[in-house]
Amino acid sequence: MTLDPIQIEIIRNALVAAAEEMSITVWRTSRSSIVRENLDYSTAVFDADGQSTAQSARMPVHLNSMASCLEDILAHHIPVEDWQDGDIIITNDPYSGGQHLPDVMTFMPVYLGEERIAIAGILVHHLDVGGGAPGSFDPNATEIFQEGFRIPPLHLQRGGVFNKEVEMLFLRNTREPEKVGGDFLSQIASLEIGAANLRRVAKRYGAATLREASKQIQAQSEGAMRAAIASIPDGRYEFEDFVDNDGITETPIRIHVTLVVTGDTMEVDLGESAEQAAGPVNCTRNMTNSAVFCGIMMAIDDHIPANAGCYRPITIKSTPGTVVDAQSPAPVANRMAVGHRVVNTTMGAMAQALPGRVAAAYYGVSFVYAIGFEHDDGSRQVYFDIECGGWGAHPTADGASGFSCGFHNISNGPVEMIEIDYPVTFTEYAFANNTGGRGRKRGGLGLSRAFRIDSPKATFTANLDRFSNPPYGLDGGERGGPASLSITRADGSVEELKAKVRSLPVKSGDIVRLQTAGGGGYGNPSERTTEDREADLLDGYVTEARS
Amino acid sequence: MNNSVRIAVDIGGTFTDIQILVEDTGQSFAHKTPTTPEDPSVGLLKGIREASELFSFDIADVSALMHGTTIATNAVLQRRFPKAALLTTKGFEDVLEIGRHVRKEVYSQIGEERLVMVPRRYRFGVTERINVAGEVETALDEQAARETIEQIRNEDISVIAVCLLHSFTNPAHENRLEELINEQIPNAYVSISSRTSPQAREFERTSTTCLNALLMPVVRDYLDRLDARMNEAGFRAPVFLVQSNGGVTTPDIAREQPVRLVLSGPSGGAKAAETLSRQLDEPNLVAVDMGGTSFDVSVVENGATRLRSEGEIDGAPVRLPMLEIRTIGSGGGSMASADSTGRLTVGPQSAGAVPGPVAYLRGGTEPTVTDANLALGRIDPEYFLGGAMPLDADASARAVADRIASPLGLTPESAADGIVRIAISDMAEAIRLSLFEKGLDPADFALISFGGAGGLHTALVAEELGASRVLFPRSSGTLSAWGMLFADIVQDVVRSRLTPANHEGASTLKPLLADLIAQGAGLLERSGVDAASRHYELAFDMRYPGQGYELGVEAPDADLDDSTMTRVVERFHQQHKVLFAHNEVDVTPDIISIRLRAIGRLEKPDDVVFKPEPGEATKSNRRIYIGAGWHDVAVHERDRIGVGDIVNGPAIIEESHSTIVLPPNWTARVHPTGVIAADRETG
Repeated sequence: MTLDPIQIEIIRNALVAAAEEMSITVWRTSRSSIVRENLDYSTAVFDADGQSTAQSARMPVHLNSMASCLEDILAHHIPVEDWQDGDIIITNDPYSGGQHLPDVMTFMPVYLGEERIAIAGILVHHLDVGGGAPGSFDPNATEIFQEGFRIPPLHLQRGGVFNKEVEMLFLRNTREPEKVGGDFLSQIASLEIGAANLRRVAKRYGAATLREASKQIQAQSEGAMRAAIASIPDGRYEFEDFVDNDGITETPIRIHVTLVVTGDTMEVDLGESAEQAAGPVNCTRNMTNSAVFCGIMMAIDDHIPANAGCYRPITIKSTPGTVVDAQSPAPVANRMAVGHRVVNTTMGAMAQALPGRVAAAYYGVSFVYAIGFEHDDGSRQVYFDIECGGWGAHPTADGASGFSCGFHNISNGPVEMIEIDYPVTFTEYAFANNTGGRGRKRGGLGLSRAFRIDSPKATFTANLDRFSNPPYGLDGGERGGPASLSITRADGSVEELKAKVRSLPVKSGDIVRLQTAGGGGYGNPSERTTEDREADLLDGYVTEARS
Repeated sequence: MNNSVRIAVDIGGTFTDIQILVEDTGQSFAHKTPTTPEDPSVGLLKGIREASELFSFDIADVSALMHGTTIATNAVLQRRFPKAALLTTKGFEDVLEIGRHVRKEVYSQIGEERLVMVPRRYRFGVTERINVAGEVETALDEQAARETIEQIRNEDISVIAVCLLHSFTNPAHENRLEELINEQIPNAYVSISSRTSPQAREFERTSTTCLNALLMPVVRDYLDRLDARMNEAGFRAPVFLVQSNGGVTTPDIAREQPVRLVLSGPSGGAKAAETLSRQLDEPNLVAVDMGGTSFDVSVVENGATRLRSEGEIDGAPVRLPMLEIRTIGSGGGSMASADSTGRLTVGPQSAGAVPGPVAYLRGGTEPTVTDANLALGRIDPEYFLGGAMPLDADASARAVADRIASPLGLTPESAADGIVRIAISDMAEAIRLSLFEKGLDPADFALISFGGAGGLHTALVAEELGASRVLFPRSSGTLSAWGMLFADIVQDVVRSRLTPANHEGASTLKPLLADLIAQGAGLLERSGVDAASRHYELAFDMRYPGQGYELGVEAPDADLDDSTMTRVVERFHQQHKVLFAHNEVDVTPDIISIRLRAIGRLEKPDDVVFKPEPGEATKSNRRIYIGAGWHDVAVHERDRIGVGDIVNGPAIIEESHSTIVLPPNWTARVHPTGVIAADRETG
C-alpha cells in the first residue's frame, strides 16, 4: 500500500494529538505536585509492533525510555502474543526496562476488531514508592531493595478486567497512598483516553492505512537522521567526563564515549566507562540510551520528530556491570547524576566530530535537595526542590545563565509561595558571579540560592554533583565554576558540605547556601571582544578581579 | 431626535477599522483607512473625519470613542523600551532574568532569548525585608536607598520599577521608596508592584511591574498626541481605551496602568463573539480567527469568553486578568514545503504580508495556504479585497506544481488540496485541545468564523472536528471594531492574602474586600460612571493546601459573609471535580487571592434586522476543487441573499473582504442579524 504525503502528515497530526490528549488528561486528573507542577511524566504512541511513532515528551530523559522499556517487555517478559484487547501491562523495574522505581510505566494495546493497531504508553513519576527515604530517594542506598517497591512487567488489567489486588499491593507500599493512588488512577484513565482516540483514528482512516502511515512516519525520521549523520565526517571520536562520586566513596566516576561514524550510521561505545557504583547514581542501559540520544539530538540540532526511526541508524554499546549498564541489584534512584554526564560526554564526542558546531558542557546535574520538617504537633512536611545552572557557551553565543538545559527541563517554585507553604525564609536567589567559564564565548552563570530554616526540628538531604569536576570548556574555553554547598549555623559558624548529604539535622536560624555550577566557555578567552568584556563587567556577570 | 453616534476604532498593522453606531437606531456602519504607523492618531482622526462625511454625522454628535490600540503591544514586540531601573529586595536582583527557567525548545544548544526588560546593570538591591506574615524583618535602609536612587538619577534614568518580596501583604517599603524616588527624581515614571499587581509570585509580579513602568512614557506620549489632535478637531467626547480584560478604561487610568492595554488585541473579537452569541441564542461557541499569520481559538461558554488570571507577551508574564486565547502559527500565509524525506509540511514559517503569498507577485516563491486556495479556484483572483488587489492565480498554481506536486509525485490539484487539508488538520487539533483541556466536547459547540481567511476554511475545520454548525458573521475582517462598541468599563483589582476558606478567612478578608470596593469605586468614579451603573463581581483564587496552582471561583455576590464563603467552597469543590476529575470535600481550601471586578455598564444598542441589497444573489459560476473533485458551483453575492433564504453546498459566497467556501452536504441560511448559519447534514 502506498500513501500520499498528505495522508501521512494528517495521520501524524492525529497521532501527536492522541499523545498530547493523554498528556493533558494526566495533567488534568493527577493529584500530586510532582506531576502537576514539575510535569514529571510523558506519553507516547507506538505502532502495533511496539515501535514508537509519536511522543509528547516533556523532558528528554523520558525520550525513548518508554520505547526501550516496551521493547524489553516484548522481547524478554511478555511476548506480543500474550497481549489482548483490554490489557494493561505495568512495570517500574529498572532491570526490566525501567529507569528508577518511582517511574511507573503502563502500556495498553489498542484493537480495532481483531487487529492490534497501536499501543498507548504513559510514564508517570510517582511521589513515593517506599524504600529508605521519603520520595524513594535514599542517597545511601547500596541495593535496589532499599529503594522501594518493585513491579516486574505484569498484567494490571486483562481483557478489560482490572486487577485491583496489584493496586492494593502497590499502594500499601507507599508513604503517600492517597496522592499516589490518585495519580495511579489518572494514569490508567489517561491510557483509556489515548486508546479511544487511536481507535477513532483507525476507524476513520482504516487499520491498514494507519499501519502504513506509522511506518512512513518512522521512515521519514530515519531518513532525516541518516542525512544528518551522513553530513558528519567519517571517523572515530572520543571524549570523557567525570561524576564527582557516588556519595558512598570519594572516587570520581569516569564516563567514556567512543563515537564511530560510518556513512549514515553511528556507533556509540561507552564500554570504557567506570564499573557500577556502590551508591545510587547508576544507569540501566535504557537510561543510558535515552541520554545518548539526547546528546546526539542536541548536537545535531535539526528538529527531527522523535520516534523509533531516529534511533535506527545509531548503535549503542556498553559493558554490563558498568555505571552506564548497571546490573541488578545496583541502586539507581539518583541515576540522573550519571545520566546528565552521559549527555555531557556524548556532546563532547560530537563536538570532536562537528568542530565549531557544538556547545561546551552545561551544568550537568539535577541539583536536588529536600528538607524534612517535624512540627511541634508531630506532623511532618517535606520541602523538595530541584535547581539548574549555567549553559555551556556555543561557538556563536554565550551560555544562558540559570536556565534548564540538557537531560531535564524543570521549573523553579516562586520564593514567596515556598515561604507561604514551608517554614523557610530566603536570603538570596541570584546568579553566582564569575561562575561562567571564560572563553571567546562565556559560559552561563550558575545560581546562588540561600534560605534560613525557621523550624526547631528539621533535616537536610542533598544529591548534588560538579563540586570537584566542573563543566568542561571547548576549543580553549575554560571550565565553568564548580557547585558548592554550605551551612551557616545560627551561632555564625560555617560548615562546607559535601555534594551528597543525607538527613543532616538543621534548626531555626541555620542558613543553607547552594551554588550551582556555571557552564563551560568556548574558545580562547583572549579572543573575547572588548565589547562583550565590558558588558560583562557593567552587568557584574564577571567582576573586576577575574576579568 | 437623538443624533448621537458611538465610534469604535481598531488600529491594525495595515488598516485602521472604524465602526460607527447610530445610538438611536442601532444601525452600524464600517469604514477603513490606512494606518499611519509613525503616529496612529493621525490615521485615527483622518478616518473619523472621512466617516463623518461618508455617513453624515457631526463630530460634535459623537458620544464616545472606543479605542483599541496596539501602541503598548508594539512597543514590547519591537523592544522600543526607555532606559529603566528596577529596585528589588537585596539578594533578589536577578529574579527578573532567572524567571521560571523552563525552556520551550527541548533540544536546543543555545538558550532561547528571555525578554529581560531591565539589564542587570540597572537592577539594584535595597536592604529591607518583609516576611511572609507581612511583618518588617529588616527595616528599609533609607540612607542606602537614597544613595541608590542618586546613582539612578546620575545614570539619567527616570523610569523606575519597584518590586519587593511580600509587598502585596505589606506595601510600606514600596510606598516609602516611591516617595523617596519622587523627592529625588521629580517627574519620574514610577511603578510599584503592590499597586500594579499585588499578588504572590515574585517573578510574575516583577515582570508585570517592569512592563508597566516601561510603557508609562510610551503610552503617555501617545495619549498626549491623541489629546492634542482631538482638541484641534473639536472632538469633545470621552475616549475609552480597550484593555486586555475585554473591558475599557479611561486615558487617565491607562497612563498609570498602561500594562493593562498590552494584550488587548483579542478583546474586540471576544466582545463580538459574546454579542453574537446572545443575538443568535448560541451560548456555546468556539470563535476561530484566521488571518495571514495566525489562528486564534477562544471559547464562549454560556455566553461569556473565558478569562484567565495571567497572560504573557513574548515570554514575559503579565499577571492581570485577560481573555483566554490559544494561538497557533497557521494562517493564509503559512508556507508549504516538501523535504528530502518526502514529507509535506505546512507552516510554521509564514510568508507574512511581505513578501506574502506567491500570488501577490512581491517576491514570494514558496506556495502558501492562500496560493493553494487560489490554485483550487476557491478564491477569485479578480475579487480579492473586493477587487482592490488583483492576484496572479497562475503563479500560485505553478508554485504548487513546481515546489510541492512534482518533488512528491502528486497531481497539482491533490498537492494544493493537500496543503489546505494539512493546515485544516492543524487547526482542528488546536480547537480539540483547547476544549479538551477544559473538559469540554467539540460536539457541543458551534464554530464562529472570524478573520480574512476564516470563510475559506472554517466549514472544513468543522468537518475535521466533528462539529456540524458554523456561523459566518458579516464583515468578519472588521468584527473586532464592531465588538468594541459593546464593551463596558471594567476595572480589575486584586490582593493576595493566604487564608483558609472558612469563617476565620471571611473575617480576615472582609476589610480587604472593603478596601478593594473602595478602590474599584474610586476608579469608576474617575471614569465618570454614576453610582447606579456600578456593578461589582467578587472572585477568589483558591487551592487545596499545598497545591501549586489556583482555580478562579466566582462568589454569588460582592458580599463576604459565612454563607458566601460556604457557597464559594461548594463551587470550588465542584469546579475542581469538573476540571481535574477529583476533589477532596473534607478539606478546607485555601484562598490565595481575592479579586474584584468593578464594572461600569455602558448602554447597549438594540439589535438591528439585516436588510439585503436588491438584485440577484447568484452572480456567476466557478470551477472549484472540493471533496476530491472539480465542481461547477454557484457564486453568491452575500449582501443580496435574503433573510431565511437557503444556499446548498458546494457553493461559494463572496463579500468584499472574505470568501466563504460551503462544502458539499452543507446548507446555509441567513439569520435575521445577517449572520450566515451553515449546517452539515449528518448521518
